[in-house]
Amino acid sequence: MESLELSDIQGYIIRGYKYMQYSRYALLRVVDPVAAKKFLRDNVGDVTNVTHHAKTNCLNIAFTCSGLGALGLKNSNLAYFTREFREGITSEHRGRLLGDVGSSAPESWRWGGPGNEQVHLILMVFGKDKQTALSYYARLQQQFAPGLAEVLQLDGQTLPMNKEHFGFRDGISQPIIRGSGRKGPENDFINAGEFLMGYKNEYDVYPDTPILGEEQGDTFLLPFDAAGTGKKDLGRNGSYMVMRQLEQDVKGYWEFMNEKTKNADGSVNAEESVKLASKMMGRWPSGAPVVKFPDKDPGGQSNDDYFTYTDLDKEGLKCPFGSHLRRTNPRDNFEDNGPKESLRLTRRHRIMRRARLYGDPAVGSPLNYTPEGEVGLIFTCFNTDISRQYEFIQYTWANYPKFKELYNDPDPVCGVKQDPGEGVEQNFTIQAEPVNKYITGLKRFVTVRGGAYFFFPSVTAINYLSTL
Amino acid sequence: MTQQHPLTLVTPVKSGEHDNLNALLMQIRADVQAGIHQSFESLGTIHYARWILLEPKDADGNIESDVGVRLVFSSNYDGEEDAHLSGLATLCAPFIDKLYGYCVDYPGVGDRTTERRKEYLSRWRVKEDAFFVGAPGRTLPQIRQENELRNYVWNLLCSGNWGGKSALDIHRALKEDVLGKQGFQWARASIKIPGIRWLGMVLLGVILLVLLPVIIIWILLIHFLFERTDEPLGLTPSQVSGAHVKELEQYEDLANQNQFTQVLIMKPGKMRLITLKALMLFAKALISFLFVNGKLMGIPTIHFARWVMIDDQKRMLFFSNFDGSWQQYLGDFIDKSGWGLTGIWSNTMKFPRTRFLFTGGAYDEEHFLAWSRYFQVPTAVWYCAYPHLSIKNIINNSYIRNELFRDLNEREARQFLQRF
Repeated sequence: MESLELSDIQGYIIRGYKYMQYSRYALLRVVDPVAAKKFLRDNVGDVTNVTHHAKTNCLNIAFTCSGLGALGLKNSNLAYFTREFREGITSEHRGRLLGDVGSSAPESWRWGGPGNEQVHLILMVFGKDKQTALSYYARLQQQFAPGLAEVLQLDGQTLPMNKEHFGFRDGISQPIIRGSGRKGPENDFINAGEFLMGYKNEYDVYPDTPILGEEQGDTFLLPFDAAGTGKKDLGRNGSYMVMRQLEQDVKGYWEFMNEKTKNADGSVNAEESVKLASKMMGRWPSGAPVVKFPDKDPGGQSNDDYFTYTDLDKEGLKCPFGSHLRRTNPRDNFEDNGPKESLRLTRRHRIMRRARLYGDPAVGSPLNYTPEGEVGLIFTCFNTDISRQYEFIQYTWANYPKFKELYNDPDPVCGVKQDPGEGVEQNFTIQAEPVNKYITGLKRFVTVRGGAYFFFPSVTAINYLSTL
Repeated sequence: MTQQHPLTLVTPVKSGEHDNLNALLMQIRADVQAGIHQSFESLGTIHYARWILLEPKDADGNIESDVGVRLVFSSNYDGEEDAHLSGLATLCAPFIDKLYGYCVDYPGVGDRTTERRKEYLSRWRVKEDAFFVGAPGRTLPQIRQENELRNYVWNLLCSGNWGGKSALDIHRALKEDVLGKQGFQWARASIKIPGIRWLGMVLLGVILLVLLPVIIIWILLIHFLFERTDEPLGLTPSQVSGAHVKELEQYEDLANQNQFTQVLIMKPGKMRLITLKALMLFAKALISFLFVNGKLMGIPTIHFARWVMIDDQKRMLFFSNFDGSWQQYLGDFIDKSGWGLTGIWSNTMKFPRTRFLFTGGAYDEEHFLAWSRYFQVPTAVWYCAYPHLSIKNIINNSYIRNELFRDLNEREARQFLQRF
């Protein structure tokens, strides 16, 4: 097993900063490249790496493609970054794949879209509470001028029990990077190259990495690439970060569940409503997996990730095939493959998820679902091959309605289209005996408000970028 | 049972007409996308059709001057070739006239009779080397009818109150309902769904066993004579021309199905050609004995695929129609059948380095994906008769049709209901 250079890897990819309750993501634009590079140089020492167990604050940095260009990285070198990153999340084809159409189309985004001010880099500031985070941010902010200008601030937080706004405990199942020293279920251990460049991936090859085609800056700082081309490697210990701001329609969500499960007299049947929402999610609000508790939420707070589907529920009778959990990580029951083969294949489509919530810190339920103002989730994930990992999961597993043997079933949580086109049904099938139950007329409860693909460099690479 | 067949036409374009023809193809593309495809529909037998403009490039992307641009047509249709050509020459005549008017030797305006058109088209016909059908024997009308049946029964299941009934009772009730419907009388005749032909497989096994010593020596020769010195493309996905991939992506993921067209250039020498031809024979045998139920080498998303050698065996065309995205499709290729695809495609130029014909190659994921895009060419026009159906749906629908009218036991009735 390869050992990871932990002190060179920015912390957020391996550690979730669970105790950092408040975060501010500052989307920045490079105004003066020389001064911006000075900012990087002055602050690179404060960037949180994996070995740095910060108690009060964390700081991580990531760059868009135009940001790297604005700092002075030559086009000939930018060309070695993956096409997905270079094109960005807003290309027309990508919009079709990701489902960013209609009210989720990049044209109506608040940031990252073609009509928005360009984002060059993102400063991710975390604090153990709001005040700590914001006072740390204020110190950094004083150094922005004249190099950097704020485009937008995105404040986020974690809620008690780590719930998201619809009311479900989130972020339970995560891949574990081999060599990172973290513990968990054996099936979750994934080769480092799926998340970090410079290491072998699940195909046992080195992921595409941005090498330096043309010498510039202090190349002495950079290592040679692992694949052995003899070129300097800007990517080693770095990753690609996908960020999407997703507004959640909590009211619409619970009204839909209530409507589909109402009593004969029209009143809300809260128990059935939660059950339907949980069947769609694949976990109960407590986080307990539906495949282990098919009928009722055991309550409390669950971190249970020790389960597979083939042994517990090959027919989908407990946890429906179309549920968000089972689609976006089919574990050992992928298509009609055997358990071992399934695990081998699904390991090639994992992402490291990081979510922060924004807006009123309210958690929805069948009888209480009206948060104040806009609420949502800042979805973030890390991967080295955006096409094979994040985009594959979003399209092939979530949006694509033909998943498994299904006909018209998108992921009920994150794959439903607002306007599926004339005559196109969108359903959720609950496998049951003798007859399945069908929830028809699914609606979209998530609207994309912004997003970008970032390069999440190693500490070394941040340092290098400051020498351009 | 009516079989599905491929038609491939490779027709030289008049010099100087390339741009005009391309403009017309783009117009047809826009029309098809906007739902204007009566010409294809009117035959009632075309599952898929496409046109590409084949530019005579070598493996480095340089234009070879001695061959001009050619218009390549590919269709997957029901029934006999003669009827298919007649259909194209009559029902699609205005269409064909416009397109092939840009091609060499197309009959002049006054001479365009059905016979002349047909004769013209068949002149450019090229025989395929191997052909795969995801749902053998399923005609276009049948695919559509069976889907209507499935939707009808699904609606019954969706709206009915089935509480307390056994699977057998429900099956019976569904059957009676459908029997009473005039529009579904066709469904009473069950169809034969092809199964694996074990005798053929055994025979194939015996032949391979007998040939094993020759095969081993052959593979060793390939390895020591060629594999170690063959030049791979050597690019990673980020290094493939962005403009090229963008052009391909423009015509991808418009529906839940996609097309894939590759133009490959054979490696020089008889040994590579013989290897490829032998593997094509092997693939053909497996396709008719084993891959008869929706999976090509384990890949469960392919409706039709074909390999066609042209230009005196110097180039190979590969066409497929599949469910889902390009990334999923190519990933499946590596995950499910990396060895088979390596064996076949490694006889073409710049394939990622292989070892002993079947290893390396496609398993070198990054380089293989880059190579795949590099040799993929844009499809100019693509028509699909059922973009909303996956190959799994089509096969499942056939089982629904057969099982609905069969006498089932309780366990079978349960399985039947799980098909919805």
